[in-house]
Amino acid sequence: MFKKAENTNKQPLINNQIILLFFILFTTILSAQENYTISGTIKDANNGETLLGASIFFKDTTIGEITNEYGFYSITAPKGNYILVISYIGFTEINKEVTLDSNQNIDFELKESTNQLDEVVITSEEPERAMLQKPEIGVSKLNIKTIKQIPVVLGEVDVMKALQLLPGVSNVGEASSGFNVRGGAVDQNLVLLDEAIIYNTSHLFGFFSVFNADAIKNTKLYKGGIPARFGGRVSSVLDIRQKDGNSKNFAFTGGIGLISSRLAIEGPVFKEKGSFLLAGRASYGHLLLKSELNGNSARFSDFNLKTNYEINKNNKLFLSGYLGRDNFVLNKDLTASYGNISGNLRWNHLFNDKLFSNASAIFSSYDYNLGINLLEYDWISSIKNYNLKYDLRYYASERFKLDFGTSIIYYDFRPGEIKPNTDESSVNPYELDQKRAVESALYVDAEHKFSDKLTAQYGLRYSGFNRLGGQVVKNYLNNQPVVYNDFLGIYQRGVEIEGTNFEKSETVKSFGNLEPRFSLAYQLSESSSIKAGYSRVAQYIHLLSNTTSVSPLDVWTPSGKYIKPQLSNQYALGYFKNFKNEIYSLEAEVYYKTIDNRIDYIDGSTLIANNAIEAEILNGESRAYGLEVLVRKNEGRLTGWLTYTLSKSEQRTPGGSAGGLGIENGAWYDTAYDRTHDFSLTGAYKLNEKWTLGTNLVFQTGRPVTYPNGQYIYGGLSIASYSDRNSDRLPVYHRLDFSATYRPNRKPNKKWKGEWVFGIYNVYNRKNATSISFEQNIATGVNEATRTAIFGIVPSITYNFKF
Amino acid sequence: MKSYLKLTILILIVTFTSCQDVVDIEVQTAPSRLVIEASLDWEKGTLGNEQTIKLSTSKPYFDTTKNLGVIGASVKVTNDSNGDEFIFTDQNNGNYITTEFVPIINQSYTLEVIYNEENYTATETLMSVVDNVELSQSREDGSDDEALEIKTSFNDPEAEENFYLLKFNERGDLFSTFINVKDEFINGNEVSIIYEKEDDKDSNTFVFEPGDVVDVEVLGISEAYYDFIGILIAQSEGVGLFGTTPVSLKGNCVNLTNPDNYANGYFRLTEVVKKTYTFK
Repeated sequence: MFKKAENTNKQPLINNQIILLFFILFTTILSAQENYTISGTIKDANNGETLLGASIFFKDTTIGEITNEYGFYSITAPKGNYILVISYIGFTEINKEVTLDSNQNIDFELKESTNQLDEVVITSEEPERAMLQKPEIGVSKLNIKTIKQIPVVLGEVDVMKALQLLPGVSNVGEASSGFNVRGGAVDQNLVLLDEAIIYNTSHLFGFFSVFNADAIKNTKLYKGGIPARFGGRVSSVLDIRQKDGNSKNFAFTGGIGLISSRLAIEGPVFKEKGSFLLAGRASYGHLLLKSELNGNSARFSDFNLKTNYEINKNNKLFLSGYLGRDNFVLNKDLTASYGNISGNLRWNHLFNDKLFSNASAIFSSYDYNLGINLLEYDWISSIKNYNLKYDLRYYASERFKLDFGTSIIYYDFRPGEIKPNTDESSVNPYELDQKRAVESALYVDAEHKFSDKLTAQYGLRYSGFNRLGGQVVKNYLNNQPVVYNDFLGIYQRGVEIEGTNFEKSETVKSFGNLEPRFSLAYQLSESSSIKAGYSRVAQYIHLLSNTTSVSPLDVWTPSGKYIKPQLSNQYALGYFKNFKNEIYSLEAEVYYKTIDNRIDYIDGSTLIANNAIEAEILNGESRAYGLEVLVRKNEGRLTGWLTYTLSKSEQRTPGGSAGGLGIENGAWYDTAYDRTHDFSLTGAYKLNEKWTLGTNLVFQTGRPVTYPNGQYIYGGLSIASYSDRNSDRLPVYHRLDFSATYRPNRKPNKKWKGEWVFGIYNVYNRKNATSISFEQNIATGVNEATRTAIFGIVPSITYNFKF
Repeated sequence: MKSYLKLTILILIVTFTSCQDVVDIEVQTAPSRLVIEASLDWEKGTLGNEQTIKLSTSKPYFDTTKNLGVIGASVKVTNDSNGDEFIFTDQNNGNYITTEFVPIINQSYTLEVIYNEENYTATETLMSVVDNVELSQSREDGSDDEALEIKTSFNDPEAEENFYLLKFNERGDLFSTFINVKDEFINGNEVSIIYEKEDDKDSNTFVFEPGDVVDVEVLGISEAYYDFIGILIAQSEGVGLFGTTPVSLKGNCVNLTNPDNYANGYFRLTEVVKKTYTFK
């Protein structure tokens, strides 16, 4: 075994020193007993889709493993006779007797539970014990089946909205892009679709998610305890994996809804050596618009592609792609279009039954294009990145597993370009400075079972960031891009002096950070455990947004001379328990998180079309802490969960080198996404073979906002003077949703399977304020508060099919 | 640019919902501040000697009582180069007037207001404005091809950075509309600003019709005032979900006696072109 492991060190992509260090450290742990390894892949018998997160255990032992992102497992145990138990939610468990006297390769195929009632039933003990044992803290998983059961607005199945029903996840309102995790900002979430970074997760300014549920296999959200293999965002990692496609039969799935229609085709290719999936979704633009708004439209579409090819037992290729687009036409004045594009080519290689590797070449981009026809110009902005990754997992022994790898990302930022779009345009062509940077990382992460009760995961990530030249970097008098004007008591742009030209080969500024990660699970009893975790994460790119809600037109910017990388430290502690034969489970966690170098915006900052962003911002800090409770019912006709989060999220920005006390006099103030109380109840009830009912109940403290605290007359207008930032709150948000799914009688041999989904969103028609704006009524001159509520009661109907 | 962005999002939100209503909301109340509206605008072709400074106080946001002017303050403007002082006399209605003012382009002036034994001051430079302002009307250039709009055109000088404030007031309207413009992306070009109204029964506004009369002012302003008035205009239009988080707006009037008790408003000195247009 050791020989094989050392051979891998000769692979050029692996950093020899760190890995050797780990091997030296843990050589002693590996026992000299006669051990053998079973490895292989676990698949869905029905469609050949690999199962990620399936568990495989030797019965009556604690020896076992969870399949990785590619359905691969490898377990090592002393010589002997065992019963191997393979299980996965919604599938019938397999028990297989094995005689372990040699290394073996066994692939398993699990059958979907035939009894529909068992769909969400977890029957075996092992996976639950695994949950208790696994040193994963702050991790939430959502099965796509579960997501599809949740009632949603207008019947559009929405991964992002489903996530918000989990503890610690929220957003600032119904029409807002992105989501907030544990009091973190939207740009602090790393969203990966088949490893490609997705920069904007929303269609239509936040109404719908960019992920087509028909193309998705699994979602996993790391709210804390982020493993060392991830990095680059300080609050969370959302790891979304696309389906591989049916490798056994051609299949079609689709749906017709009020907002969009979808169709996915999947099937075997390359003489059963591979499979593919192609999914598309498009909205009907006219449905969204009132008839009086002629010439206007808003529409979105997205396409997912995945294909794979098995070269041989040890080598497999995967190709993934995503293309999403939103298009708006506002009369003849304005057109807007934006979207993500991503592609990923991967190569799975098995060095031996204990060493799994994956190499990826990934591209992703996000861009938007505004045609401001009234003023006769186009406004274009984009961010692109190219990413090479190499990840390995060494299943050293039953007690010790090691992940290690490296990643390098090249970024190309084009913050904005103005192009006149007619000959008569009064606008001059102009482009903001392009920016380039390289982010690299190297990590090792060990999963180490010290005893049957104590398991730890510990790792270290080193990340580096180089802001590359090829541009003139601005300089400011006294090196102050922002200056506090003592006399007027305000922050102002600094005085620009001659800039420094950096050649393309030069580095403007470089950063490096060591990011230790650590988590621990201690099993208190058969049914309960406590876990603790610490993680430090660095983030080198930032989304510039000074609006209440992040908009798709916000621009990303790299760290550099004036903007420092964000650094987070998170501490978490959790208690996990299963009740009543694991029908119920409880997860409770507390966390405390600090983030250094969180940028904040001076009063009156303008970020759009600004080439000197550093003159609008100050480096501050933020902190968040809270308690999250999740109670789940895993079994029976009624399943679902109940969550409660009590939390605080605030920020502070001292003046620093700009002078003065800082923003809001350097005092802590609530972030726009602080939610004191957040309660939700999600349930599904299987009435009979034909009908399933679903419900959501959501209750949240209103988000912080800034209201006026006075008025005065200026220029003949009543002008509001505003109070301290985020010192008021919107009214409490609450709503109730219902859904009912009807599956007509299905003859076992009939290929066509259809279902109707009926939904009512916001049943009691609560007018939840998305925003409240204050202005003078221009007819009467009286000041008024106007509430915008996005969705009142919204009924919906969707038809889904499969054949 | 920004306002167009806001417009798209607004339209989008409106398309999804007709659910906008006026609600009762409790707001905080800050202590009252002095409000200084010291807009010394020198109309081209006049002497500019007659100037008014308005003083008032702020009040709770939903207070509907009539605004009372501040009486008993002493108001003075000084030419910073030659020390000439212009005393503004109290009209006992919140207005303070002089007929002696001598405007000089690019001259720095200092305002001094003493009120409640507190000493307020501000310094600003008189900015010039272009003189080739043309008004015309059209239908096709605005958002609505059917509706009349007024087009204000002028040539932006290329040699310098310029900041403008435009004020439109249709005779009979309660309130004026303000637009702030800078030449960052249009430097040296002919600039056209279009002002169009739309029908809205709720606010009692209607599209322009032949015979409607509009007063137009084009003011040359300083960069600092451009920033100030930009925030003021944006915040006066209400701040929605995608609006910039509102801020407590500070002008240039500083309280020397008690800095925390700064005055709202601004001391501005501008050159202005005033024109009137009657729709044909």
